[in-house]
Amino acid sequence: MTPLVFGPAGRQLVGLYHPAESQRAAKAAVLMCAPYGHEAMRSQRFYRVLADRLARAGLSVLRFDYHGTGDSPGDDADGELDGWQRDVGAAHQELRRLADTRTILWFGARLGATIALMAAQHERADPTRIVLWDLVVDGKAYLEELRAAHVEALEQSFCIPDRTLRQQLVRDPDAFTDGPLGFEMSARLREQMRAITPLNVTVSAGNDTTVFADPENAAVQAWVQAQVARELPVTLAPFRHPLVWTTDPQPNNAMVPAEALQRLLAELRG
Amino acid sequence: MKEFPILFGPEDAPLMGMVTTPASGDTAPVACLMLNMGAGYRIGPRRINVKLARRLAQHGISSLRMDLSGLGDSSAPKGQERFTQQAVLDLQAAMKLLETTLGIQRFIVIGLCSGGGRGLSLAEVDPRVVGLFMFDSYAFPGPRARIERDLRRMLALAGNASVYGKVGRWLRRKLGPRQPSAQLFDDEPIEETQRYFATTVRQLVERGVAVFVMYTGTLHVRDLGRDQLGSVADEPFAKQLEYRFIGEIDHTLTSIAGQQTFLDEVGDWVRRVASGRPAAKPALGAPPVQRVQVVAAQKGALPDMAAG
Repeated sequence: MTPLVFGPAGRQLVGLYHPAESQRAAKAAVLMCAPYGHEAMRSQRFYRVLADRLARAGLSVLRFDYHGTGDSPGDDADGELDGWQRDVGAAHQELRRLADTRTILWFGARLGATIALMAAQHERADPTRIVLWDLVVDGKAYLEELRAAHVEALEQSFCIPDRTLRQQLVRDPDAFTDGPLGFEMSARLREQMRAITPLNVTVSAGNDTTVFADPENAAVQAWVQAQVARELPVTLAPFRHPLVWTTDPQPNNAMVPAEALQRLLAELRG
Repeated sequence: MKEFPILFGPEDAPLMGMVTTPASGDTAPVACLMLNMGAGYRIGPRRINVKLARRLAQHGISSLRMDLSGLGDSSAPKGQERFTQQAVLDLQAAMKLLETTLGIQRFIVIGLCSGGGRGLSLAEVDPRVVGLFMFDSYAFPGPRARIERDLRRMLALAGNASVYGKVGRWLRRKLGPRQPSAQLFDDEPIEETQRYFATTVRQLVERGVAVFVMYTGTLHVRDLGRDQLGSVADEPFAKQLEYRFIGEIDHTLTSIAGQQTFLDEVGDWVRRVASGRPAAKPALGAPPVQRVQVVAAQKGALPDMAAG
């Protein structure tokens, strides 16, 4: 594994490159698009282990932090969706250079899955396939989920939590949106998040896309059906797993759930 | 500010870290080491280590945030050392990296929760540690503080629904089947831990190491007099500890306001230690402390990443 800095001078990014361990040239490479905020922290170890396993299976992998996240330059509040799509484009070009292959799969989870789909539409990048896990298709609902998780986290963490937290959550739709789960969110990102709807998240016609999602996630099910109706190349793979994105690992909510690791490894390895 | 990622330590089991240095000019002769909180990776909860590193760099102080062996992006260790001993070796590898690349020989360890314990273990054996920050790391509240906390929770049940879950979990822990302890850490009686803490911190204070302990609203609602130190608070050396209880902050710094308070408190303390609080007596033969010029003399050693 090699840490690196890449991207244009004014917007450099930190990444970790896992070269394929096979003696032969890598048959393909995987670009991993991280979730947002706490969910990225929650899944960091999962991404690391998945990348290691893919490299062992003969694929080169690039993990990276978007601007304003992880170790990359920029404050939390500097992050926004347009810039993050460009970051995916830059990471794709960097992976092409490092792995010396044009066969590049994209993997994204949660908001990272949404960003990957947006980038496939807008950036000059040509992923061979896109694999998505627990995609966010409704930004308003996602922001509500983050707000509720923020209150839950405060209630769990404080010895005696503020008893007005739930009242604030209900009365003020913007409460806790300035820093959900401790990651400062700009007004711009909040606006962009709320603008994500099933109508403007679209599969790219040139990229075969597989979506892993809970079979009870009605929003994603409906979205996939709508994409299929437009004859766009997308497949829904029903998948239940114990990872709770907005919490910290617990005994029944493992840091690297084996079933998720094996399923996604099999899908990406081909 | 300059930042770059780096692998360091043993070639067959490299450790992952991010170095943050001031952009140019004089830099403090002391650097901060930031390590994992629990099993979380080097950026810290809510990216706090990144935020602290960058704030310190604005004040001329370099830092390295790193993953201990087996955590985050660091390799699993090849040796057979116990977790604590391996952590000490990892942190010493970090110190060696900063000595080699930046010429710094004095270090402040920023330890959150379990990280505080690792920092204490390092400071115990390595005279290069001149400052140690422990956040919600060792807590020995006495009977009065514990009874008050539990009583307050009971009273809060009447008007605070969020306390129900806490009390329920507490009752399940007390009355349910005993859960196996985590294998990662030694499972020793609290009295032994308290004895180790008191003995070791006393030695550090006698050596002139600056020690700052901070406790949060996760542990209690208020503090009447260094409650979290329990009987240790009465020891003479404890008067020299910097102690803060901040009820508005929680253990994982969930709120932005809480993070700002944390950054102000810790940043201010680090600057005071770096600028001349009594430092550890230098090891025999160690050169005198000098301010170092960063980057210019070592340009070849430092990858150049655009300032954030």
